[in-house]
Amino acid sequence: MKTINSEHHLDLTKKDEKVYSTLNLGPTHPATHGIFQNILTMNGETIVHAEQTIGYIHRAFEKIAERRPYYQITTLTDRLNYCSSPINNIGWHLAVEKLLGVETNKRIDYMRIIVMELARIADHLICNSVIGVDSGALTGFVYVFEQREKIYEIYEELCGARLTTNLGRVGGFERDFSVGAIRKIKELLVDLPKILHQFENLLMRNRIFMDRTIGVGSISSERALNYSFTGPCLRATGIDYDVRVQEPYCSYNDFDFVIPVGQHGDTYDRFCVRQTEIWESIKLITNALDNLPEGKFNVEVPAFYLPNKEDVYSKMEPLIGHFKMVMGEIDVPKKEIYKAVEGANGELGFYVVADGGRSPYRLHFRRPGFIYYQAYPEMITDSSLSDAILTMSSMNVIAGELDA
Amino acid sequence: MNNTSKYNVVEAPEGFTSPGIFATTLDKAIGLARKNSIWPLPFATSCCGIEFMATMAAHYDLGRFGAERLSFSPRQADLLMVMGTIAKKMAPVVQQIYEQMAEPRWVIAVGACASSGGIFDTYSVLQGIDKVVPVDVYVPGCPPRPEQIIDGFIKIQELVGNETLRKRYSPEYKALLESYGIMQSNV
Amino acid sequence: MENNELFQNLHTQFHESILLEETNHDIFTLVVEASSIKSVIAFLKDHENFIFLTDLCGIHYPDSDLELGVIYHLHNLVENKRVRIKTFVPKATPHLDSIVEIFSGANWMERETFDFYGIIFVGHPKLERILNVEYMNYHPMLKEYPLEDATRSDKDDAFFGR
Repeated sequence: MKTINSEHHLDLTKKDEKVYSTLNLGPTHPATHGIFQNILTMNGETIVHAEQTIGYIHRAFEKIAERRPYYQITTLTDRLNYCSSPINNIGWHLAVEKLLGVETNKRIDYMRIIVMELARIADHLICNSVIGVDSGALTGFVYVFEQREKIYEIYEELCGARLTTNLGRVGGFERDFSVGAIRKIKELLVDLPKILHQFENLLMRNRIFMDRTIGVGSISSERALNYSFTGPCLRATGIDYDVRVQEPYCSYNDFDFVIPVGQHGDTYDRFCVRQTEIWESIKLITNALDNLPEGKFNVEVPAFYLPNKEDVYSKMEPLIGHFKMVMGEIDVPKKEIYKAVEGANGELGFYVVADGGRSPYRLHFRRPGFIYYQAYPEMITDSSLSDAILTMSSMNVIAGELDA
Repeated sequence: MNNTSKYNVVEAPEGFTSPGIFATTLDKAIGLARKNSIWPLPFATSCCGIEFMATMAAHYDLGRFGAERLSFSPRQADLLMVMGTIAKKMAPVVQQIYEQMAEPRWVIAVGACASSGGIFDTYSVLQGIDKVVPVDVYVPGCPPRPEQIIDGFIKIQELVGNETLRKRYSPEYKALLESYGIMQSNV
Repeated sequence: MENNELFQNLHTQFHESILLEETNHDIFTLVVEASSIKSVIAFLKDHENFIFLTDLCGIHYPDSDLELGVIYHLHNLVENKRVRIKTFVPKATPHLDSIVEIFSGANWMERETFDFYGIIFVGHPKLERILNVEYMNYHPMLKEYPLEDATRSDKDDAFFGR
């Protein structure tokens, strides 16, 4: 048993000298969806104090990244927030493009928007359906997971993988959207709203669900900013900070979309913000697909883009280029950059210190989940244990992102 | 045995049939019952856990193979499904969970990380869960597709169905557990 | 607000402890002396609207006199402007004031930096390892340590091209 080493002063004699019990929640608790440990000091059903332990799947991403060529780091980003890998992949490609000073054309931008918004939908679907599961409504999960399965099929058309997609390349995509992919996206745009309406009918104005979530795990906007919250968790408190608007990338400024905000920063607001974001993402995908410009699906970044296979087998220069690229013997400018994208959980940042060599001198991932999960004890103090579980699932902390 | 029902009924094991009776060995009868009602304990740590969610959801539905009921308590579980990276910090927890399971128990390592550490050959990651617990089936992939997870599960069913009742008492099995430093619970 | 104006404001307040990094980085970058880091960040938050701590991480330059560095990214949400602040400490005395009092979110970021680099944040409420096991006896992100676990016995190097 761990001893409680309190951060805040905990006076065990207050409150009528009640005896507190200690409850170890995690690291493999069935209700926590991932490996998070919380040692709770309980007064009956009420949480008096929580002590977090993380790092149970620390995989040393940043150390690996210092030894990998730039293009191989894409596979690491897959495994950060694995519910929405394509956003991480494209975020990393954007970071490398910023380092190299590469500009992409509109077609690439729009294709990227489509893929990233699909990933955002997939991520929010999981999070919101799991809030339902944790409040006792398993049905919604089964319904929306079928839609997530369809998004997986689109990923498969685009890159061949379902979950850890490794999608795209520095400078664009490895291939154009296939006819099948576009057909599947269009099918999804027809099917998803129907299911989403059913899902919302099931939960959004459901009395039990509202009673379970309204006022649960709330945080004020001041505290949220002080804790460096980003993403839906910050927007639920009423602050409209979204990287897509503040620092537009991938031509997001070509589109009209709404940044939903909440009022109270509680579980219900987080649920509604995510739900509205799904609708906005559907709008974005529809617009981007309708206005998809003609053009090439990649820009000329010879050092990062594998040459045509036919040329590799028949010509000398492409063969050398292919070999150099695969071995990662490519020079980059000496520079420091910070590039952020709006991940499904918030601002996903890449701080790259490049010394000109084949791999970054230092790469730091700004992982939104890692930063805002530390506010969890503050959010659940004085609430009941069952509410604490709901609060955790509504924060959508992904273990891979948390522990790097 | 004749199966005219529209419902899917599992095949009977080898045995002697004559009108009104069916005789087989106790091993096979128990194996048949066990393999079609495995209670898995999903020990999902990372990416593979999401694919396991897909396996359990409506599209792939692991429930078709008799594993509808997930057991989140190790005390009632038959099968430990380890899905995802196990860091060194987590390794004692995996072993403890395994120790808490009652015999007979099986382990499946889903994904490259659980099988061998995968792409994470680093200071913090355990290089395969077979360093701390004995593993029956390995499922490759990063992450494996749901079909692969189901395939691994069917392999486990084969092992469960063909297991002799004496296996868990055998000196070989005891030696195996001892090599991991695991105390054998009530057999 | 222009970068120069911001630099002038900081310079009048902190004089020589602020240096401008003259490189082509994407974000306005300042180098601050380790002793005044906390007051500089407090000044930026209270007077210059940099109310959001985006990121905090460590870095290691083994060949430099001041080996260990900490990099802060602050964001002025009002004017949508970022600033990067660097500070360096020697490896023998890697002490730096904690900014948890200013930004609660710095708590785990500082713990992570301590875990990875061994930088000691003075005044931190609970400076313990966060991601690695408690009994680990080195700071793994320092450049001298290898990526792989040196004690591992499971992989035959012949198969991995080593």
